[in-house]
Amino acid sequence: MNNAGLSRRQILAAAGFIGLATLTACGSGDESSDGKDLSKKQDGAMKQYRAGDRFKATKPLSFEVLHNNNPVYPLKDDWLFWKELTERTGVTLEPIAVPLSDYEKKRSLLIGAGDAPFLIPKTYPGAETPFVSSGSILPVSEYLDLMPNFQAKVKQWRLQPELDSLRQSDGKFYLLPGLHEKVKSGYSLALRTDVLDKHGLKAPGTWDEVYEVLKALREEYPDRYPFSDRWSTNTTFPAGALFGYLGQAFGVRAGWSYLNISWDPAQEKFVFTGASDGFRQMVEYVRKLVADQLMDPESFTQTDDDAVKKLLAEKSFVISANPQELVQNYRYNLQKQVEGSRIEMIPVPLGPAGPVVLGGSRLENGMMISSKALESDSFVALMQFVDWLWYSDEGQLFTKWGVEGVTYTSSGPGAYRPKEGVSLLGSDPDAPKDMQKDFGFYNGVFSYGGSWELVSSSFGPDEKKFQAAMAQREQLPVDPPHPLGSVEQEQASLWDTPLKDHVTQNLLQFVLGKRPMSEWDDYVAELKAKNMQQLVDLHNKAYERYEKENA
Amino acid sequence: MVSLPSPRKPRTSVNQPTPGYRVFQGVNGVILTLVVVVTLYPFVNIVARSFSGERQIRAGEVTLWPKGFNLTTYEIVFNDGMFWRNYGNTVFYTVVSTAVAMALTTCYAYVLSKKHLKGRGFLVGVAVFTMFFTGGLIPNYVLITSLGLKNTVWALALPNAISVFNLLVMKAFFESLPDELEEAAQIDGLSTYGILRRIVLPLSKAVVATMVLFYSVSFWNSWFSAFLYMDRTDLMPVTVYLRNLIAGATQGGNAGATTEQLSQTAANIQAVTIVLTSLPILCVYPFVQRYFVSGVMLGAVKG
Repeated sequence: MNNAGLSRRQILAAAGFIGLATLTACGSGDESSDGKDLSKKQDGAMKQYRAGDRFKATKPLSFEVLHNNNPVYPLKDDWLFWKELTERTGVTLEPIAVPLSDYEKKRSLLIGAGDAPFLIPKTYPGAETPFVSSGSILPVSEYLDLMPNFQAKVKQWRLQPELDSLRQSDGKFYLLPGLHEKVKSGYSLALRTDVLDKHGLKAPGTWDEVYEVLKALREEYPDRYPFSDRWSTNTTFPAGALFGYLGQAFGVRAGWSYLNISWDPAQEKFVFTGASDGFRQMVEYVRKLVADQLMDPESFTQTDDDAVKKLLAEKSFVISANPQELVQNYRYNLQKQVEGSRIEMIPVPLGPAGPVVLGGSRLENGMMISSKALESDSFVALMQFVDWLWYSDEGQLFTKWGVEGVTYTSSGPGAYRPKEGVSLLGSDPDAPKDMQKDFGFYNGVFSYGGSWELVSSSFGPDEKKFQAAMAQREQLPVDPPHPLGSVEQEQASLWDTPLKDHVTQNLLQFVLGKRPMSEWDDYVAELKAKNMQQLVDLHNKAYERYEKENA
Repeated sequence: MVSLPSPRKPRTSVNQPTPGYRVFQGVNGVILTLVVVVTLYPFVNIVARSFSGERQIRAGEVTLWPKGFNLTTYEIVFNDGMFWRNYGNTVFYTVVSTAVAMALTTCYAYVLSKKHLKGRGFLVGVAVFTMFFTGGLIPNYVLITSLGLKNTVWALALPNAISVFNLLVMKAFFESLPDELEEAAQIDGLSTYGILRRIVLPLSKAVVATMVLFYSVSFWNSWFSAFLYMDRTDLMPVTVYLRNLIAGATQGGNAGATTEQLSQTAANIQAVTIVLTSLPILCVYPFVQRYFVSGVMLGAVKG
């Protein structure tokens, strides 16, 4: 008996030791291969490659790239993009076409099966986390010295804090995000300005004025809800757009940008978003709109189509918008159905938080690189190529606008127009060629981010006005890095979802008046019962640990 | 011993339905009519949309009859090369996969139907096991890839070649054929394969037709395997094309999507694509259906 117990323990100890030994062996193995001896991986690479240089492979190379196949501009092999790219850089890209509908699924499969191509674009910040522990994704932060343009942009646009927020618990980051010089705001309210004019109302500049305008409209049309909103279906957060920009006015992340955990600069620690004061004020504001019958209670459940139908049938006069929807949907259809109608998008109205925009939104979806790339002889060339195509001014201009004289004409920096006979996003419906469909430029896989000059070069007049107003606003500070370890990560996601659900459900109940505001404290107590405090503590602990380790 | 109740005499003759039965039939009729309407409405609506104008669809005016009748949408879709390419792929994949599946399923089922076969229980067990357990997505993918089947029709045809349900139905059918027929054929000098080809198969038209229908419909509609194992757009079946088209239009509101990517595929183009994709199955079904009922029932009750 005793003997057996002893031997079992011995076996366990031995097994543990072997396991440990293997782990350390692996660890040190990684160290040596990560030891940045890249001298044997210089195939096709440029000896001298600096920011602003054009990358040109010293011998023909080809790389596979995962290609998110958008049905609006389906992948074609004869796109000018592919040809011109090879001509300029000597690199041939071989796209692996994945339907946009199930891109994430195939991406996980390929990475899981070890069959992923070197380049895996269209990955949103946070989506890389599940792949980190498997080791199949390259810690790109270790190889930034191969990417001068990337580094230059980060420095020039002061993106380091944003970039740091991508760091995992090992202090590295695994995603090359799209970089924006300025925050690009997407959504705001659109109002029927002809109706406002008719009743002598002015477009509102603050949320209090929004309330007044809606109230005045309700008095003129007592049988209608002046505001009926959309973006409530197919999303985890009802009225996702509205709460997004409304929350911003109260200094909280709500709607689509909702995260359970947010940084409180005053207290210098992380707090729970759904229980914060700003969140409560936001809830009370919308609750007032609904209670005074200024906002359609169906706003939080109806489909987008239904909401737009109400707008087109003049059953409502105010709706959430983005510049594309404003022009291509609301205005286009309104003009056909209501004579003399005008609809405009206003800059996001101001709230208690003042003229601010949320931080952190200057990073866009970007690229993961498969770890297998490191074993390739042309690794250095690959990194230089990625740096040129996605992060250099020339590369970004090329992926967005194409070839001068063929797809676009230029009248000075930042002033680009599609060439005669080429249509961009419906700019010229009668044009024989389309920038995206026929040439392969302005493709979401390759073209994102960039300088404000470049980003704004494709804005229509409405968007220009809107973005110009929004660009005046101050950016709130970015959350400091607080990466969780993989066990913590799992624990956090177990707590995260039920909390998020509870916040969303109760948000609706409060807003629709089904739960009195006096029960707010009960609601916070319910959140506590769902491990709110533990989640907050977990993140604060991770924050302190990171601070200490990287001081 | 349990004593069984003695059988009672039926109260009415079969020829004269009771009033209760008539009410039942009436209610039945009404409910089934409603079911028919509910099932047909979405389809009629899609057909109506495919002939309607974009504006009328957006305004929600189209229900049963096209508004703003036009054929230009059909023209647009007819001129889309990739749609036809993928359509052709679907036809090709369906034909090849069904042929492979029929050959393998028939042979396996025939073997399993022989009671004197040694290890028959094991062979059935192997098949049934796969109904409940699979290797999972990634191992399957690794297998197909390392066999070099990726980007070929075999990646679709081979892993799905035997549907266990179909196999068991066929097995039951073969078991119901009288042994004496085969014995007689044997005496007349036919080999095992000869018996299968000249005696058994000609007698099994009903079940074969049913299986062909089952397999071809499921291959026609399937998209997932092709999505997994095909890397190029020109290899995709039309179902993936369609799925991408519809998803591309409904994903618009997603939080992360940049506004530039939000341009939508027109609702009428979607409708036309749906109609064209389901048309062949719709045309074939009524003609094969008469085998279908008898085929599934055959072998269901054995004497």
